[in-house]
Amino acid sequence: MSPVGHVNQVLDAIQKVKAVASAFCTNFFPVERKLQGWIEHGELLCELRQGSAFFLRKDRDFWHFYFCAASAALLRREVASLSSLKTEPVVVDLVGNEAALGDLLAVLKSEGFQHYTQFCRLARTRQPSAQLHGADQPRVVHAERADCQSILDLLCSSFDRYAEQLPMLYEIESAVESRQILVTRCAEALGGLLFFETQGFTSTIRYWLVAEQFRALRYGSALMRHYFAAQSAVRRFILWVIADNANAIKKYQHYGYTPDGLVDCVLTNERVRL
Amino acid sequence: MKSVADILKEIRPEFDFTPNNDFIADGMLDSFDVVTLVAALDKSFGVSIDGVDIVPENFRSLQTIEALLRKYGVRP
Repeated sequence: MSPVGHVNQVLDAIQKVKAVASAFCTNFFPVERKLQGWIEHGELLCELRQGSAFFLRKDRDFWHFYFCAASAALLRREVASLSSLKTEPVVVDLVGNEAALGDLLAVLKSEGFQHYTQFCRLARTRQPSAQLHGADQPRVVHAERADCQSILDLLCSSFDRYAEQLPMLYEIESAVESRQILVTRCAEALGGLLFFETQGFTSTIRYWLVAEQFRALRYGSALMRHYFAAQSAVRRFILWVIADNANAIKKYQHYGYTPDGLVDCVLTNERVRL
Repeated sequence: MKSVADILKEIRPEFDFTPNNDFIADGMLDSFDVVTLVAALDKSFGVSIDGVDIVPENFRSLQTIEALLRKYGVRP
């Protein structure tokens, strides 16, 4: 695996695989802005083979594995000789309709990957907007640069790093700059946050969280109401939630989200499980 | 036969796919929608769009989708 130096290297590798694909398969849906960040921070490695391309992205103390292959059979053949998957802690996400993921799951399980958790995607169309500031609502503001480390600490202490694709500090700084993180405060402390990404008419909630000591203060609902009210041009709201987290799903359903059929199966190799 | 606009509306009924939109940059179609759209185009127009043509540039607007279909001999 070699470090990727330019976004075009990734796009070219994918196109080379597509050009010879009989049944193209992938778990790699890169957004150029994110790719750029990974490359600038030296996090992305690539290996191009005949009919397949493999990518590893460094994330804290483990790697995310992405692939493109001309077919599942070719993936099975090539992935078997990819030594990094045996020697490094690796997490892989397979995204799609559950029924369509069977072949890819079988390939990865044959290489020692095991089920870790599963997310389902929830979606919501635009609904009558909530008020931006209710009279008795906790105050919601955009996060500031000085909040970045606290945001990262809160995310890391609240979510599973293998499952949740937690951002690095530079991603949080960029999101703060783009006004994509809403927060509530209690005195100087960060009480809760809602981290979202809006692209045109679609907005994705990445993380919605209230610190444990501030629960039952309606911070969560204030963040969510502020978010919806502020995204008045958005037509489609989406998010990913752990599929068996009934409590979280119930909360999202309260705001009008429903499953849209996509799942994300998260698998880990033995080095993660050690 | 359904038009490209009809197919898009079936996939994402919440959006108005007007000629002025960039469907990718405006967040109206994501990678998974494109896969669904390709399957629907294949079925509706009796073509088989190659993987190498499944790139965002070909799905940015009604015009680019129709140009892609014309490449496969379809007059949408």
